[in-house]
Amino acid sequence: MLTIDACRLAWPDFEAEYALEAPAGSMLAIVGPSGGGKTTLLNTIAGFETPVSGRLAFDGRDLLPLSPAERPVAMMFQDNNLFAHLSAAQNVALGIRPSLRLAEPDRARVAEALAAVDLSGLEARRPEQLSGGQRQRVALARALVSRKPLLLLDEPFGALDPGLRREMIAVVDALRRSRRITVLITIHTPEDVLDRADSLAFVARGRVLVQDAPRAALDPARDPAIAAFVGHGAPAKS
Amino acid sequence: MRRAAGLRAPHPGALVALALAGLAAAAFGALIGAAQDRPSVLALDAYLRRILVFSLGQAALSTVLSLVLGAALALALARRRFPGRSLALAALGAAAVMPAIVVVFSVVAVYGRSGWLAAGIEAAGLAPRPNPFGWPGILVAHVFLNATLAARVFLDALSRAPAEHWRLAAILGFGPRATFAHLDWPILKREAPGLAGLVFLLCFTSFAIVLTLGGGPGKATLEVAIFSALRVELDFARAAMLAGLQLAICLSLTLLLHWAVTQAPVAPTERLPIARPDCADPRLRLLDLVVLALGGALVLPLLAATLEGAAALPRVLDGDLARAATTSVTIALVSAALACAMAIALAGAAQAARERRRGRLAAAYDVLPALVLAIPPFALTAGLFLLLRGRVGATEAGFVLLPLVNAIGALPFAYRFLAPALATSAERHGRLAALLGLTGLRRLAIVDWPVLRRPLAGAFAFAAALSFGDFGIVALFGGAELRTLPYLLYERLGAYRLDEAAAIGLLLVAAAFALSAFATRMARC
Amino acid sequence: MHTPLRPSPAMRLALGLPVLAAALATPPTPAAAQERPTLTVYTYSSFVGRYGPGEAIAERFEAACGCDLEWVTADDAGSLLGRLRLEGASTRADVVLGLDMNLAAQARALDLFAPHGIAPGPLDMPVAWQDETFLPYDWGHLAFVYDTTRLETPPESLEALFTDPEGPSVVLQDPRTSAPGFGLLLWSSAVFGEGMADAWATLTPRVVTFTTGWSEAYGLFLEGEADMVLSYSTSPAYHRSVEDETRYEAARFAEGHYLHVEIAGATRTTDTPELARDFLRFMLDDGFQSLIPEGNWMYPARLPEGGLPESFAGLIEPGEAFLFDSDRVSAERRALIDAWLEATTR
Repeated sequence: MLTIDACRLAWPDFEAEYALEAPAGSMLAIVGPSGGGKTTLLNTIAGFETPVSGRLAFDGRDLLPLSPAERPVAMMFQDNNLFAHLSAAQNVALGIRPSLRLAEPDRARVAEALAAVDLSGLEARRPEQLSGGQRQRVALARALVSRKPLLLLDEPFGALDPGLRREMIAVVDALRRSRRITVLITIHTPEDVLDRADSLAFVARGRVLVQDAPRAALDPARDPAIAAFVGHGAPAKS
Repeated sequence: MRRAAGLRAPHPGALVALALAGLAAAAFGALIGAAQDRPSVLALDAYLRRILVFSLGQAALSTVLSLVLGAALALALARRRFPGRSLALAALGAAAVMPAIVVVFSVVAVYGRSGWLAAGIEAAGLAPRPNPFGWPGILVAHVFLNATLAARVFLDALSRAPAEHWRLAAILGFGPRATFAHLDWPILKREAPGLAGLVFLLCFTSFAIVLTLGGGPGKATLEVAIFSALRVELDFARAAMLAGLQLAICLSLTLLLHWAVTQAPVAPTERLPIARPDCADPRLRLLDLVVLALGGALVLPLLAATLEGAAALPRVLDGDLARAATTSVTIALVSAALACAMAIALAGAAQAARERRRGRLAAAYDVLPALVLAIPPFALTAGLFLLLRGRVGATEAGFVLLPLVNAIGALPFAYRFLAPALATSAERHGRLAALLGLTGLRRLAIVDWPVLRRPLAGAFAFAAALSFGDFGIVALFGGAELRTLPYLLYERLGAYRLDEAAAIGLLLVAAAFALSAFATRMARC
Repeated sequence: MHTPLRPSPAMRLALGLPVLAAALATPPTPAAAQERPTLTVYTYSSFVGRYGPGEAIAERFEAACGCDLEWVTADDAGSLLGRLRLEGASTRADVVLGLDMNLAAQARALDLFAPHGIAPGPLDMPVAWQDETFLPYDWGHLAFVYDTTRLETPPESLEALFTDPEGPSVVLQDPRTSAPGFGLLLWSSAVFGEGMADAWATLTPRVVTFTTGWSEAYGLFLEGEADMVLSYSTSPAYHRSVEDETRYEAARFAEGHYLHVEIAGATRTTDTPELARDFLRFMLDDGFQSLIPEGNWMYPARLPEGGLPESFAGLIEPGEAFLFDSDRVSAERRALIDAWLEATTR
């Protein structure tokens, strides 16, 4: 269980205070207007931003004193998830040991993770020889081998076309179910996750305005910001 | 991507490339054509062989030392924040464009027989007197000029690393070793070939530094032979052939470097505050301390030595200086604008070729800017002047040629700053731009401009500073109308007024420092 | 002008450049001055700089000729010749002032100069003057200058300087790029003859460096990098007169000294040949010559009425003065440089 309680962050030009919960093994979609604080929320969980007050815990363990590497967190971005000079397998291996000196069982784990994202046979490819979707699968495989129970996805599939985007979300969904990973995903096309996410948090102005079941959370009547986001008065498409 | 076959308007960069090649060819042709009576054939005699071997040796050694120290300095500066850091960055930029004559006198003031080092050694009661003439002087001067340049270029590149990579490094728990191997090294490796080519050419064609600090006539470069053929023997054909030889050597070396290392694509994104995971490592802390101390020991005394000119400052501040400064500023602005425009056009053409999967053409565009350095400015100017002769007066020719030749000289530097930025922009928005049908100037203004703005300011300031301190061809075309600050410096030197020359040298360095500080602020690295 | 803040296509800038250049190059003189003829004189930069005699010379000549004198400068004598070579018959120069005798043959070979047609009359120079193209305006001996507070017993001959392994260190100019540097080569050839190469080989270990030009060498000497520097016998006069400094002296060498003679000539292509000739005549008059000693720090070709200034008193007076025929210099230039290269890089 991920618990965020009154986590306050302050900059000269922006202020945020977050509160939300995500049960272990659940998928939480984070939706909201640009600049509303979605990425800041993920960065806070990962340890790139330090709250001035509040509580951040995972399975009862306080995360705030921990460095990003010590937190039970794997993360994936829209771009630049891979290092261009390393092969797909090496990029995955970074999740086990940054020195890339792998023992035999580690190698097996890499192969297994690549197989889990359907990339067997492409181990030796460099990022520039992979398609956009394949690159994101490599990044997912790395998140798997690191065995971190909390996966943060920051607009991970925004650069992919809609069909591929849904396919990738299905892959994520399957993996989190089979491995009991808690997934937080920021996304600007909530219709892609309506049927897969367990809950949806609407984030704007540095606050979690609503956290509820996906369709219910996007009800325009709940907040003018939500109405503006989904389009005036129109219900979210599915 | 498929594209309808048909005529396409040539990219402006292609026109620039053609114009540059045309200028060089025309200049060479004019020189050879003007050789009238003496069609001397260039024999690779013992003398030429000797200076060739020496030039290659000193340039290779200078390049290796400059790149190693430059990379170490860039890493140390990337890892550390300390008071005065931005001043240190400005100092790097100022050092990189210091006029050769000022460098020579600074090296002597610090390391000479009666220099600061000698005074220190004497005060310590030690015996050996330093002697900078020979290899030490050449290497110190070249490393001073080029390690600082390399440090700036490397630092620029390091700061363009994608923010996501730094976050991944933090999450994956990269130590100092993994940080270097996966984040820094690939970037250094990507920049190194182009930079090495540039530094090698600068050292290979170095003239006043090698001749004056070399200590003996065996320590000369081809440029010296070209100079004496052009100005003392008036043997234009020999000059053109020597210049051709120099060009051929530089071309083959540049190509070799370029194809020896394949370029990985760059894909940086917005820069966010980066906390490097290797900052806290105590061994790295020590290493950086040593590197920064070493860099400071190399750069600061030589910069500080120019302050000796301060005493005579009141005596040089007059109408002459104001006029010369105005001329210098005008020429510097025009040539910097020209250099940046050419660099953007060429980099754009390279990018366009890359997008069309024409790697070789792209590589040719990448090589071209560094290659123009191999054309001796004396020969280029003389050749172009011969072309203009009879059409415009010598002074008018000077007004055209001076900014043009200075711009060509600054082009490779501008290119090193601008090309990666354009590549970044293409990586980030290229597909979108193609989708929207944005091309040419509109694409430049809408898509590239936000990414280009800062490096452009840096490149412009660098090119302006370089042109500001350039003496080279003013020797031929200076005079009442085209009296620049470096020209004034030599005029005072020739009239026994060394102190006033030093004061003007100080002003040149101060201007370079100011421009470099501006560029640093713009680059925010 | 295009500013860097708005990127614009390179070609547009390149096309705009000549326009800008033309705007910059528009001469500042108002059209009203059209009536007065203009005499264009090429020279080297320090002659007309702030401390050179050029401006005063122009004032005096303009007062007499009812014309305008326009100085056009190149960096040094070598650049001057290079520029003439480049300009060829299209040169604007009416008179070229500032070449030296060692460049005379090459200058003549350009076929740009006209015979001066002037009988110079008696000159105060160590050699008789017969050249029909060029006239001298000043001269000096090449000499090694030293600091008396640092070097107590300078060598007394060129031979001693070259061959004494314990002798003083020197900073010299590269004969490939510098006029006095090449002058020393001629001097050594006059003194050592066949033994020139060996003499250079013994001197080389004590040569701190060979610089591009006179300025760099003299600067290095003043910075204390060498015991002696190749300069002119008149150099100490500068320090006495301007800096009130008497510690610099030139060493007098027993064999004699090589002459450095600076010359001027009128061009064949001038559109004001009379004016050019007037200038060459004026050049040997008091009005010009009196400005030379403390303006250009050389001996005037003809002593002005007041004689030499006080600062020139006590300068060394060499015995023999060497000056090779300019055709011989031109013919032997490359062989001499090759021999020098061979000897100094042994």
